[in-house]
Amino acid sequence: MPIVSIEDVIKIYEGKVTHRALDRLSFDVEEGEFLAVMGPSGSGKTTLLNLISGIDMPTSGRVMIQGTDPAALRPDDLARFRRKELGFVFQDFNLLRMLTVEENIVLPLTLDRLPVAEMDARVKAITARLGLEDILHKRPDEISGGQEQRVAIARALVHRPSIVLADEPTGNLDSNAAREVLDLLGTINRENRTTFIMVTHDPIAASYCDRVLFIKDGAYYNEIHKDDRRRTFFQRILNILSLLGGNVDDLSSVRLP
Amino acid sequence: MTFRQFAYRNVVRNRRIYAAFFLASVFSVMVFFLYSMLMFHPGIGERFITGITLIGMTAADVVLYVFMLFFLFYSMRAFMQARSGEFALLLQIGMERRQLGKLLLLEMLLLGAASTASGIVLGFTFSKYFFMIVRELLQLPALPLYVSWEPFLMTAGAFFSLFLLIGLLSAYIVSNRDISEFRKGIGGEADPFGYSPGRAAAGILLLLSSYGAALLAGRVNVLYLSVLLPPAATLGTYYFFSHSILYLLDLFRDQKSLYWKRARIVSLAETAAKLRDNANMFFIVAIVSTVSFLSVGTLASLATYTAQYRALNPLGLVYESFPGNPDEYEHVTGLMEELDDAGLEYTHVPLSVAREDSSFSGQPINILREGEVNRLAEALGAGPVQLSPGEAIFLPYSTEAAPRLRDADIRTELEESGVEVHVQGVVGGLLLPAYSLGTNSIVVSETDFVKVASAQPDSLLRIHAFDVPDWEETVGIGLSIEQSMMMSEIQQGEALPYYFKNPGLDYSIIRSTFHLLLLTGLLVAMVFLLAAGSFIYFKLYTMLDRDRRQAAVLKRLGMTEREFIKIVNRQLVPQFFLPWGIAMLHSTFAFISLQAIWKEFADISILKEMALVLVGFTIIQLLYFYLIRWRYLAHVKGPT
Ligand SMILES: Nc1ncnc2c1ncn2[C@@H]1O[C@H](COP(=O)(O)OP(=O)(O)OP(=O)(O)O)[C@@H](O)[C@H]1O
Ligand SMILES: [Mg+2]
Repeated sequence: MPIVSIEDVIKIYEGKVTHRALDRLSFDVEEGEFLAVMGPSGSGKTTLLNLISGIDMPTSGRVMIQGTDPAALRPDDLARFRRKELGFVFQDFNLLRMLTVEENIVLPLTLDRLPVAEMDARVKAITARLGLEDILHKRPDEISGGQEQRVAIARALVHRPSIVLADEPTGNLDSNAAREVLDLLGTINRENRTTFIMVTHDPIAASYCDRVLFIKDGAYYNEIHKDDRRRTFFQRILNILSLLGGNVDDLSSVRLP
Repeated sequence: MTFRQFAYRNVVRNRRIYAAFFLASVFSVMVFFLYSMLMFHPGIGERFITGITLIGMTAADVVLYVFMLFFLFYSMRAFMQARSGEFALLLQIGMERRQLGKLLLLEMLLLGAASTASGIVLGFTFSKYFFMIVRELLQLPALPLYVSWEPFLMTAGAFFSLFLLIGLLSAYIVSNRDISEFRKGIGGEADPFGYSPGRAAAGILLLLSSYGAALLAGRVNVLYLSVLLPPAATLGTYYFFSHSILYLLDLFRDQKSLYWKRARIVSLAETAAKLRDNANMFFIVAIVSTVSFLSVGTLASLATYTAQYRALNPLGLVYESFPGNPDEYEHVTGLMEELDDAGLEYTHVPLSVAREDSSFSGQPINILREGEVNRLAEALGAGPVQLSPGEAIFLPYSTEAAPRLRDADIRTELEESGVEVHVQGVVGGLLLPAYSLGTNSIVVSETDFVKVASAQPDSLLRIHAFDVPDWEETVGIGLSIEQSMMMSEIQQGEALPYYFKNPGLDYSIIRSTFHLLLLTGLLVAMVFLLAAGSFIYFKLYTMLDRDRRQAAVLKRLGMTEREFIKIVNRQLVPQFFLPWGIAMLHSTFAFISLQAIWKEFADISILKEMALVLVGFTIIQLLYFYLIRWRYLAHVKGPT
């Protein structure tokens, strides 16, 4: 059974001009899969993540997560579901400015009333893996954009969710740091069978995934699966991106490490 | 687009942020205007604006002005903080700092002009109702609406100068900042838990010792306390808000088992950030609320002086005629006519008083006649006395004196007439107040009084006591006599052969004065209250964008609605009720010491009035809190 299934989802934003952000989109995500979602800016990727997390409700169609429909849950149950099963990395505004790094990371755990020793242990473990030990007591204003992004990733993983939704998690990282983070996500994906749905514009990041889903104007466009060699996978991603009309000329010259 | 147009559009487009600030300013202008209307009212000025009332009202005016200055200054700063991103951008695209300063000044003047005009218009609209309320309170026959230029000019002038001052200040601040400072956000980047441990401790110590000293008031030297306590408590309060409270929160933060629990991590840090950001404002609000609670409470207790006043002044009117007074008949009939004209019921009891030296004490003593005293006692509802020749009874000069005289048992000879009397006991109830007779009076039997009177028929004193059941209505009675007394006092001529007192008139003046002062105190306290609340709301409003995004993050992390409301509560409650609670505590302790001091002067208990004032203000504050919480939640959860 797929862990996430999107069935004929339409999302329309009402406003001065009604806008169809998602248009009859359908796909499944298997448990333990590492899925990348790509598409031009404004194609509805963030909207899709919002629907999966139950922040927003589809105008029509159905979103099923682990066999339940978030739209059918009562608000409190939905919140509880989110705090247990989902991890988030946002595209913007990730951290609470008045909390320290450590407090930001521990936040999802505190909502769940774990014992303090357990919380401490988990924070230690995750920050060690992300190399954040030295900045635990700094506040978001005092760290770099890349560090901030890693803190956000730590927060998304600290409560060991079964699904992690990430919106451009490597957008602010240099290629080295991005690779380290992606390796880490891959390791967690393999070790804990955590499902990842990652929105990205970066074909290199996408090439770390099991499958890449392309959407255009809110509709399903194409998808490709990982093959044995990352280099060819990367090349196929670039090909589709160029078909999609994204500006990839500058990327085709990028050499994979 | 000219520069002025740009400034205009800026205000109009930022109106959401400006709205709370604008409303609070309008409200203050309105109160200030109403207040000036009252001060310049011809009907009020003639009657009451004298002495303490004038001082009280002027002081309130000055306090209002100074408070508005603070209020506008802090609002302006919060506004600049909210817009620091915009400023940074404007500077980066090449606006000169001087231009930015000019922009702010123009904005402030525009806003000032709008709120002053609206406030005056609103104030003038409401002035009719305001005067009606004041008339009720002061029990004036009429307080018509009037039009004169003074209140308008005063309000406009006061607020124009205020906004000009604030505008210049903001222009000055903005032209002395770097772009980088704006990008960080003015005052927004500091660590929420930054405090100095020494000052934190000093704050707590100062407050505790002030409270302790206040409890000891009455036992320790009062003067000492009144000089030392207020500054100590003020400094303590300042440190408390800027350091101690953060220190206490930080202590809590070290207890992970308490702190890392549910939404507390967010609400505590949020509280700390907002407290730190607003420490100065909270300090001012706390101190100013304390002062206004105290003045309102004290005034309220003075306004309920009636019972005591009546006990001290049992008679409606008292006219005393000394020997050789040619006007006695004319004055007394005049008074009776005036009472008749006013439609007031009265009982007229003339009393004859002889004065002789007592052989017992060597002091002069007043001697009254049994029959006349009994008539007065009957009129005032007291029991009659019965005396045989040779017997006498004390006439008490105050309610406190009665028990002391009850056990007296004195035999004395009245030296001039040679009459011997045995004085025993005291007349039940206060019949004649101390001012009419002095402190040493006895009542003798009819037979003895005739003997006394015939010994010195020319030196008899006559007292005309009028019992008027509606004693508060006698305001206009006997004005001509009162005037001639005042004239002779001013000219310091020969002592007049008569004395007149109208307690009803005095009472109405005392009462109206207190009520006017009370009204002033209430108005000022109201302004503080609303301004403080508006400021908190305004602050929230300027931070709304950030709070909204924060709410979105928290929602995604799986925070339930209930937990979110809890966070909002936890950060709103301290902002509303911390300055409040401190002010309450301060006032409570201040009142405990005031009560002790007060007891020395007059036997008035201010406990009940104070409790009423504190409870009343708390209810208003609660209502205000729920109103603002409701609006804030609607904004944070609502669409962007
Ligand atoms: N709350 C909203 N109200 C109205 N329209 C919206 C809203 N959110 C998004 N949209 C519109 O829906 C479309 C999809 O937006 P979405 O944020 O999902 O894009 P995206 O694929 O995440 O883009 P990007 O890669 O730039 O982040 C856009 O055209 C956007 O203008
Ligand atoms: Mg997006």
